[in-house]
Amino acid sequence: MLLRLTVLLAALLSLRPGSDAHGTELPSPPSVWFEAEFFHHILHWTPIPNQSESTFYEVELLRYGIEPWKLIPTCRQTLMLSCDLTAVTLDLYHSSGYRARVRAVNSTQHSNWTVTNTRFSVDEVTLTVGSVKLEIHNGLILGKIQPPRPKMAPAGVTYESIFSHFREYEIAIRKVPGNFTFTHEKLRHENFSLQTSGEVGEFCIKVKPSISSRTNKGMWSKEECVSLTRQYFTVTNVIIFFAFVLLSGALACCRALQLYVRRRRKLPSVLLFTKPSAFNLSSQRPCPETQDTIHPLDEEAFLKVSPELRNLDLHGSTDSGFGSNKPSLQTEEPQFLLSDAHPQANRTLGSGEAPELGDSCSSDSSNSTDSGICLQERSLSPGTRPIWEQQVGSDSRGQDDSGIGLVQNSEGQAGDTQRGSALGHDSPPETEVPGEEDPAAVAFRGYLRQTRGTEEKATKTGCLGEESALTDGLGPKFRALLDDEEGWHPPALAKGYLKQDPLEMTLASSGAPTGQWNQPTEEWSLLALSSCSDLGTSDWSFTHDLASLGCLAAPGGLLGSFNSDLVTLPLISSLHSNE
Amino acid sequence: MKLQSVSLWLLGIILILCSVDSRSFRRCLISTDMHHIEESFQEIKKAIQAKDTFPNVTVLSTLETLQSIKPLDVCCVTKNLLAFYVDRVFKDHQEPHPKILRKISSIANSFLYMQKTLQQCQEQRQCHCGQEATNVTRVIHDNYDQLEVRSAAIKSLGELDVFLAWIDKNHEVTSSA
Repeated sequence: MLLRLTVLLAALLSLRPGSDAHGTELPSPPSVWFEAEFFHHILHWTPIPNQSESTFYEVELLRYGIEPWKLIPTCRQTLMLSCDLTAVTLDLYHSSGYRARVRAVNSTQHSNWTVTNTRFSVDEVTLTVGSVKLEIHNGLILGKIQPPRPKMAPAGVTYESIFSHFREYEIAIRKVPGNFTFTHEKLRHENFSLQTSGEVGEFCIKVKPSISSRTNKGMWSKEECVSLTRQYFTVTNVIIFFAFVLLSGALACCRALQLYVRRRRKLPSVLLFTKPSAFNLSSQRPCPETQDTIHPLDEEAFLKVSPELRNLDLHGSTDSGFGSNKPSLQTEEPQFLLSDAHPQANRTLGSGEAPELGDSCSSDSSNSTDSGICLQERSLSPGTRPIWEQQVGSDSRGQDDSGIGLVQNSEGQAGDTQRGSALGHDSPPETEVPGEEDPAAVAFRGYLRQTRGTEEKATKTGCLGEESALTDGLGPKFRALLDDEEGWHPPALAKGYLKQDPLEMTLASSGAPTGQWNQPTEEWSLLALSSCSDLGTSDWSFTHDLASLGCLAAPGGLLGSFNSDLVTLPLISSLHSNE
Repeated sequence: MKLQSVSLWLLGIILILCSVDSRSFRRCLISTDMHHIEESFQEIKKAIQAKDTFPNVTVLSTLETLQSIKPLDVCCVTKNLLAFYVDRVFKDHQEPHPKILRKISSIANSFLYMQKTLQQCQEQRQCHCGQEATNVTRVIHDNYDQLEVRSAAIKSLGELDVFLAWIDKNHEVTSSA
């Protein structure tokens, strides 16, 4: 059988040149090929060289391996170089393929058939995309790819049904003025989103489909463009804005709360001293401000003081830097808590602090020499103490002094007795003191109360309300004054306090003439006055003491100068007379 | 009642095993890279199919014929067809052009690899050939014999895409893109 076939073939081949020899044989179309998309199968051919107007072409189709050639009548039109064979190749996607052939025909002749080179199968279908829809959401480009939906497709046959798996799409994006940039990434789904990373402008996108399990070629879709504008009122922006507002509000509240908690507390009105008005001591010597040295006392605690104690002027924080030591207070009542700027002055009441006080006082003694304050003796024996001890605690007696500078006496003097002894022993202790104690160790001993008569609240030197700063200020001045005074020597029976200064020769002789004492007392009284004035309207119970001292009478004001003041003279004289 | 339930249970188990079995056969060629073979074929498709001068004759029958093969026969038919190509078609074809020859050789080597993979799979389970599988194999061989050797070889090579598509469908091969 094979032999027969070969013989026939040879015969046919030999005959062919003969047929060509007819001369008017039309040439066959040089090439025939299919150009197919999804359910859009077009057969193309190239025309014959000498094409006349009456030339038309015949197309025949063959289903591979099954049927004989079938003529397609719809393609029989003149001078047509392509023909749509979709209708007759609907089964392309489920069959082995088709073969088509074309020949040229004119009125008299027809050419030979030209067959398609390859078997037309589903592998030759070029994949396309129906459409691409773009939307903008929150700065993102959302795209949806629509597969082709040809009309010729039979019912129920779709792109997704035939190519059910491994559909892929390649995307190319460009910003309008520029060229396309290929992402080189393939989408596996028809829905995609693109991040433009905040860029604004017009973006154009095109898509090329493919099937990863097949070798079909794909065709780029048409460009779809969308323009992005900068959105200020996106949801995220709004949320961030509100979150920021809430945070700042919370922070402000916290800060306000903090400030409120830590607010500077006002002093109780009791402790506020009005400034001295009008009293002007020809201020050539600006004394340090008394207001600096206010030691506010806790009024409540103060009120708890026993009546005895109240009478004392010894509640000494108001003194100019007297470290008040009230052991009795401590035992009986809650202590006064003195708050003041000066560390040394800030002596809490307490017996236990005697040594400390002593230290501090001694340390500051250089500053707070006068104004009779800060006595601190470390000495344990009451006898050696300068008489200072007006510890309120023990004594409840308002000392005749201005009741100020309480000396810190850890021993806690018993009371008046001590004082009395102190009083009585003004001179001896005084003399003792310098001898006993090392002058270098103790810079300042405070003041020796000179003449302490029965009255205790007599002088007001180193008065209340003065601060150590004041004393500091006054002290040196005082000292200067003392130095200036010629022939001054502290009288033994001075009303005020003699400054005990181991370095200087001052102290405490009981026999100082009062007249000579006038000036220092004068000054002290001035001191007292000033301090008294500082007290002002304080509610302290011992204001009446001050009154007795004549403090109230004196208008406030710091000691302007140590010049003798006529106003003060009567007071001094009165003091003297009292004694 | 008990007997009935037991028999039902047994039947269910048997069915499950059978389905598993058939599926296992279908998965024998999973590791083969079919896409590479298909790409190689596409490059030479034009050259080879252009030489096929008998479009109304087919060797591998049509796709429909191959589609009618049942899952149980897939193993047998695959084995037979691979043997057909390796033993007859590639040997009978004489390719003058080196580029085309190179592609054909790569396809042939892939087929050899597939044969070995299938053999390993079959050793675990017996690959029985049913009547239909035997019939199809015989028809293909007859078609091949009806043509002249060279034409038949060319035609068979030209129909490789049909064979590859059938393997894709029946063996659930995951092709790597």
